[in-house]
Amino acid sequence: MMDYDRQLKLQAYLDGELSEAEAREMGNWLARDREAVALHTELRNTRQALTGFEVGIELPESREFFWSKIEREIERQAPPEPARHSWLAGWRRLLVPAGAIAALALAALVVTKSGSEGTPLEASLADPGAFTYRDDSARTTLVWLSYPAENELADSEPSSKVP
Amino acid sequence: MTEKDHSSADDRALVRAAQQGDMRAFEELVARHRDKIYARAYSMMRNEEEAIDLSQEAWVKGWQRLKQFQGESSFSTWLTRIVINLCLDQLRKHKRQRTESIEAMNEETGGVERQMPVVTVNPTAGLERAELRRRIDQALGQLSYEHRTVLILHEFEEMEYKTIAKTMSCSIGTVMSRLFYARRKLAALLADLKRGTGDERAASGGE
Repeated sequence: MMDYDRQLKLQAYLDGELSEAEAREMGNWLARDREAVALHTELRNTRQALTGFEVGIELPESREFFWSKIEREIERQAPPEPARHSWLAGWRRLLVPAGAIAALALAALVVTKSGSEGTPLEASLADPGAFTYRDDSARTTLVWLSYPAENELADSEPSSKVP
Repeated sequence: MTEKDHSSADDRALVRAAQQGDMRAFEELVARHRDKIYARAYSMMRNEEEAIDLSQEAWVKGWQRLKQFQGESSFSTWLTRIVINLCLDQLRKHKRQRTESIEAMNEETGGVERQMPVVTVNPTAGLERAELRRRIDQALGQLSYEHRTVLILHEFEEMEYKTIAKTMSCSIGTVMSRLFYARRKLAALLADLKRGTGDERAASGGE
């Protein structure tokens, strides 16, 4: 009976995995050994039987349905896009307090010109985001808070989501 | 690129467009190669549902890694390698979850195939294509995943021994003995199926 290494070498010959010299030697052996020929034939038949096996296998889902699942998954796994209007948010953060100061200055100017008494404008040292207008004669105090809106804060913070 | 351009463009043009973010180009690639990718997954997994899921996962990974594709092989070959790796991962998980049979252990030591008698007639000669596929499908299902995978990588993917060894993280010697066992076992199973259906007469067409 053929030894195992010889059998594996015969298979390697069939698969074209031997060197030229080894293949020549194996060819000569095949020409004179019927047992080797029988095994070689069996291996070759099996290989031929498998040819084209996958050709008729089709995905049992329509093109549209299969693609829709892929597309959805791609979108779900996509990393979050960087904030597209971050420059705008930055400008807004600068412009909002500046606008508030300008508005209060204008209000103070109007009040002063109209001869009204009181303390028209105060900027709190403790909180630079707050401005106060007080009219003693009218017993009125207005506080202007110029903190950025919540969504602006969210825009400015880096996302901690990992794709 | 318009829809008409997509359907008439070759794979390389579609890949280039998809690499620049054109999802319709990628959709066209999916449409062209989805059956092949699914077929490979099905051959390896032997389960329709898992094969669909894994081929879908391969396409998603393909999109995510598309920029890494340099065109050394065809696009379908590149994507087939992705699905093969996903299937191998899944099969290894399955293997960890099940108890190995005594036969499987014997297969690993390479002892069984030496005692199998040689199948002297061609057990698939004269069969209709559909019947041939059915029998091969049945026989492949009876191989362990290691033997089936080696056979698939060699016969369908046309990988050399050393590439299979690398893909399956084993030695070339292991690849050779697994391939030998798989072929011999498949020949015996196909012969049994032929005997079972009583169509020995067709065997006369053998070599």
